[in-house]
Amino acid sequence: MRRSREIPTCVLLLAASGALLGCTEHRDCVDAYNHKQPDSYCNAGTHIGAHFLYAGRSGGQYGDTVVGGHSVSRGGFGHGGGGDGE
Amino acid sequence: MRRYSITPRPDWERVVSSQGLSYHSIEGRPYWDESAYWEFTSGEVDRLEAATAELQKMCLAAGDFILRHNRFAAMHIPEAAIPAIRGTWKDEPPALYGRMDLAYDGYAIKLLEYNADTPTSLIEAAIIQWYWLQDRFPKRDQWNSLHEKLVAKWRDLAKYVQPPLHFAHDGDEEDLLTISYLRDTAREAGIESAAIQMSEIGWDNDHECFVGNGTTPLATLFKLYPWETLLGEPFGMNALVNMASGNKPQKGRTQWIEPIWKMLWANKALLAILWEMYPDHELLLPAYLDSPRDMTRYVRKPLFGREGANISIVNGARSFATDGRFADGPWAYQGLAPVRCVDGNYAVLGSWLIDGEPAGLGVRESQDPVIRNTDRFVPHLF
Repeated sequence: MRRSREIPTCVLLLAASGALLGCTEHRDCVDAYNHKQPDSYCNAGTHIGAHFLYAGRSGGQYGDTVVGGHSVSRGGFGHGGGGDGE
Repeated sequence: MRRYSITPRPDWERVVSSQGLSYHSIEGRPYWDESAYWEFTSGEVDRLEAATAELQKMCLAAGDFILRHNRFAAMHIPEAAIPAIRGTWKDEPPALYGRMDLAYDGYAIKLLEYNADTPTSLIEAAIIQWYWLQDRFPKRDQWNSLHEKLVAKWRDLAKYVQPPLHFAHDGDEEDLLTISYLRDTAREAGIESAAIQMSEIGWDNDHECFVGNGTTPLATLFKLYPWETLLGEPFGMNALVNMASGNKPQKGRTQWIEPIWKMLWANKALLAILWEMYPDHELLLPAYLDSPRDMTRYVRKPLFGREGANISIVNGARSFATDGRFADGPWAYQGLAPVRCVDGNYAVLGSWLIDGEPAGLGVRESQDPVIRNTDRFVPHLF
């Protein structure tokens, strides 16, 4: 019932070998007052006001104020517990 | 429908791994199990294909019925989601695939459920069992046009989606590999794609839209993640407010695949609605939402249950139950199906649909009457 003999699966094979890597723009996780925090603070999805600032500026230490940038919140999905296909 | 034992290929783990199935074994036991195979006659495949097409028509009618009779409350669908469900049902934005689980004992075919939102076991069905057939029985055939139909469907959808088409998953290995394979089928159709974890999806507070790993808006998003879970999460309302309308991408809004109307079919309440609409239909089992009524042999299923979790089987005086995270219900009660069992192996058939058309078959086996996500996938031929 299938016409082709070969099934091209480059992405699948890369993923199966664990070789798929993502890349992201520079970002800082900040609290509601734009104070720099670890990424885990933003990814938890539980801290009110936590968000990422993209292309913002700071001294690079936790607690520093980050100025400028573009505000993105993350961690608002993905709490289903894993294995959500069926 | 016959089951045969066969000696597995000596290097089967290496072979299926090289084809992309890295999760071929679970806790030291084969998940991909080629120590047996199921043989169907071509007449049986024709019957299964026709039954799948007939059930699909009935599910389409059931969708209209649910909307017309406002059955959302009985299905425990959140009120806030209803306008989006109505809108997407009418507008028909891109939808891709689904898998009906069927009981078949060689005589009767019965719908067990419709995994219309987040079906998996796709790689096994589309690729691994096909290459197994080429290795072991190259002169035989298999009900399997999944790959071709997926590619063809993406070609149809190309003008209705906005690349890069993002594929979201929750980090589980099987789900990552499933979306990776789907990306391959989209790629073959000429659609550029990217992968993202659900937890990495961002909400741009300045422009009020979803974004990918950086700040690029997510115009079209395929999610291997249940709608009912997604809606209960902090960004759930954003998904409803920001959802693209119509059937084409909209600037600043996200178009979701599968569309939210799939909540109508992935919900086990569909089984009771189908039975109400088509009582005594040969492809259906009796099903109710309030109680088992007069059934003495039945299965209690959570409306939003997955992977065989929290299933209870009552068979006269005997009973059997699985555990899981859906213990609080709500429930559907469905008559007990005649499932094929050979040498203690219960077999359930996964009948795939691409673009609403029957597209192939996968057989899952279990030592007990409930198929769970870790139960064996066994190849088939005819």
